[in-house]
Amino acid sequence: MNLPNLYLADLPPEAVLTPSLVRDACIAVKRNRAVWLAERPTQELVELLAYAAERWMTPDNGFRRLALQQGPVDLGMGSATLSRGLDAFLRHLSVESLNALITQDLGDARRLDEFSAPAGELRQGRTSLVQGPELLVHVAAGHLPSSSLMALVLGVLTKSAQFFKLSARCSVIPRLFAHSLADLEPKLGRCLELAVWPGGTEALESALWEQADCIRVEGSDEAVDAIRSRAGTRARFIGHGHRLSFGFVGREVLSGYMARKVAGRVAADVTAWNQLGCLSPHVIYVEEKGGVSPEGFAEMLSEAMADREQSEPRGELDVEEGAAIRSRRSLHELRARRHLQDREGAETVPRGAFFEAPGQGTRVWGSAGSTAWTVIYEDDLAFRPSCLNRFIYVKPCEDPQRMLQAAEVVRGRVSTVGVAAAEGRMQDLARGLARWGVARVCPLGRMQEPPLGWRQDGRPTLGDLVTWTDLELGS
Amino acid sequence: MPDSLSQFARDLMEDIRRMSPRNPADAEAWFGAQAWRLHRLQAAANPVCRAADGAGSLSEGDGGDWRTIPPVPAAAFKEWDVTALLEPERLRVFCSSGTTGQVPSRHHHSRESLAVYEASVISWFGPHLVPDGDRAPLRWMSLTPAAAVAAQSSLAHMMETVSRRWEASPSAPDHPFYFGTVDSDGAWQVSVPEVIQALEAAVAAGMPVLLMGTAFNCVHLLDSMALRGLRLRLPAGSRVMETGGYKGRSRTLTRTELHGAIGERLGLPAACVVSEYGMSELSSQAYDGVAGAVASPRIFRMPPWARALVVSVETGQEVTEGGTGLLRLLDLANVWSAMAVQTADLAVRRGGGFELLGRAPAAEARGCSLRSPDGD
Repeated sequence: MNLPNLYLADLPPEAVLTPSLVRDACIAVKRNRAVWLAERPTQELVELLAYAAERWMTPDNGFRRLALQQGPVDLGMGSATLSRGLDAFLRHLSVESLNALITQDLGDARRLDEFSAPAGELRQGRTSLVQGPELLVHVAAGHLPSSSLMALVLGVLTKSAQFFKLSARCSVIPRLFAHSLADLEPKLGRCLELAVWPGGTEALESALWEQADCIRVEGSDEAVDAIRSRAGTRARFIGHGHRLSFGFVGREVLSGYMARKVAGRVAADVTAWNQLGCLSPHVIYVEEKGGVSPEGFAEMLSEAMADREQSEPRGELDVEEGAAIRSRRSLHELRARRHLQDREGAETVPRGAFFEAPGQGTRVWGSAGSTAWTVIYEDDLAFRPSCLNRFIYVKPCEDPQRMLQAAEVVRGRVSTVGVAAAEGRMQDLARGLARWGVARVCPLGRMQEPPLGWRQDGRPTLGDLVTWTDLELGS
Repeated sequence: MPDSLSQFARDLMEDIRRMSPRNPADAEAWFGAQAWRLHRLQAAANPVCRAADGAGSLSEGDGGDWRTIPPVPAAAFKEWDVTALLEPERLRVFCSSGTTGQVPSRHHHSRESLAVYEASVISWFGPHLVPDGDRAPLRWMSLTPAAAVAAQSSLAHMMETVSRRWEASPSAPDHPFYFGTVDSDGAWQVSVPEVIQALEAAVAAGMPVLLMGTAFNCVHLLDSMALRGLRLRLPAGSRVMETGGYKGRSRTLTRTELHGAIGERLGLPAACVVSEYGMSELSSQAYDGVAGAVASPRIFRMPPWARALVVSVETGQEVTEGGTGLLRLLDLANVWSAMAVQTADLAVRRGGGFELLGRAPAAEARGCSLRSPDGD
């Protein structure tokens, strides 16, 4: 399957982008939007998106097959992992969910097309129309493809012309998705532009900022801040910096049978997108005094991780990423053996010469002969960011309060907490997490599968893009 | 008499002193036997080495391949005192110069272990930096602070050691040796005007210079020279030894860029710039060539009493020629600490040596990987 040359990102690698190419592309997509997209009925777009997703879900879909061929190299992950990640996103892309998202964020699904309002507002004599930015610019700095796809969907719903600045590592799938939309509806395809260049290429980026009405950036906090400071004030700026996530397992689900099930769900969360997303857990806190100890849970998790590796191999990493895992793993292995020495007592310590504090208890489980997966159990509660790519910490905690104290270092930067606990505790638990600053609480096993309407960083994703015109009706 | 670390050290010093060109097979057999001997002694005397050994290699005796000796991760030096020295024997400690806020590595030394350290330094520094022999006229200059004010720096101690051996006089007022100071934050600074004055004096006298320092020392000097629009042409026979990374103390250059800047400001060709690879956790160093004849590609080589292994990050086994992996060093001169040290540096295996991979700033790092608060 050969892709036509539609986008700047389709140009051969030796092609040189210039500021005027970028500016012309922006002007072209804006013109195409005015002609076709701006007045398109929202329901038509909703149906188009849902149909595109449906086609992508079919195993023999050409775009999907290309994605699964080229994506693993691009992203450094196995194709089964990629396929699960894509499906988790595509499943949510239905007419029903898209309409639910619009209603949730805008109050009324018709508002993108005409002045309208839910009954309560109408009774007060008010109605409103919402409009998206004319040109919506996205910067995806080395993120997962699913966030770029989500961003694209939002921009289609707001009927915006869109320009994607993609990172070289993560361009294949957004590009294929754009092509698949263009294949279904060429006129929509012409309202999109995608390009790849190294972040911080100022000449190209200033040309882009000049044309943008709204700039939506996902990346590290540094990348977001750098773009915010360079982009000027003309365009609206929406920045989503990196977030991280963790898990909590309540003591009441730690019976042997349930514990094993929960461990399987945690393994699903750790392996999803190879743990590279903001919604992937770094640490799993396991409550003490359950039927299974936190250490026992870690062992169950290691078995579940090994199973996952069988069905969904992690894939090959860059040597730097592998080195980070290897180095950290070997330090923990040494800590574990030092701890054993301390426990075994004095006869292994010669001549009373060593007055070191006894090491923290730790245990390591890892794939043999590879860095494919690693489970580290540590007595020490302190939150510790993982080096990712299927490397997870398990830590004990007395109760959720202690967990939050231990996670204080990352407070304000936490996206999701995955929870397995008795239903009766959920209200209290979730309230505690919300007060502490967590944006999303979900069941373990679904951390990387947020519904379409999830509020990224606690903000309405569609709602943040639009502007409102209120019409106050005369009596 | 039972074998001991002290006995090992005495034997090693003798071997280092006599290290005449052996045939490779003998050298390999000698290294293997000594490596296993030291490994056994360390596992008995040092709990961290014993822990690193796990259940593994000791039972195999010393018949096996030295490559299978389990290493201690370099990070272990931050966490424990990786030493067989008792408290009262610990005379000096060399600490890593990691970025601020991190726990430094600690490498303890006694009088005996320093003697081994110094023998190792001198015997490998000589053939690489002063291959023209003891009598070559050379003005020795170190951009580091003096060992007296940077007592925890192994590099400053190394400078002290070579200056003593080659009788450059650190205290002679007309030709100072040290040009570095330590500021109130503990950061190293270069006394730039004094260095420039000394370099100009050497140029005027036609006296070749041996200039030594960290990479960031060199950048401080070169940047100051660039600001002043100053270029020198150091006399023929001059040479530079640069070492170590930047650790955020100056702008970061690749090795090629640094050597280019040295050429531009000091008039020295790259063949006269020797890179040294060393770490406070070790007692021996690697050099990437001989002053005046450094060839490209630059391959670091350890001395005959040490070995560099490049191991696969996935399997932990040695990579094949040209393969990339983590650098593991086995240093027989690390008698009272740990002979086998697993670094976190990436390298390419080249013959018996290695090419160090610059830690390229990962342009767009993947994943939501916030920097770890404790930096590991």
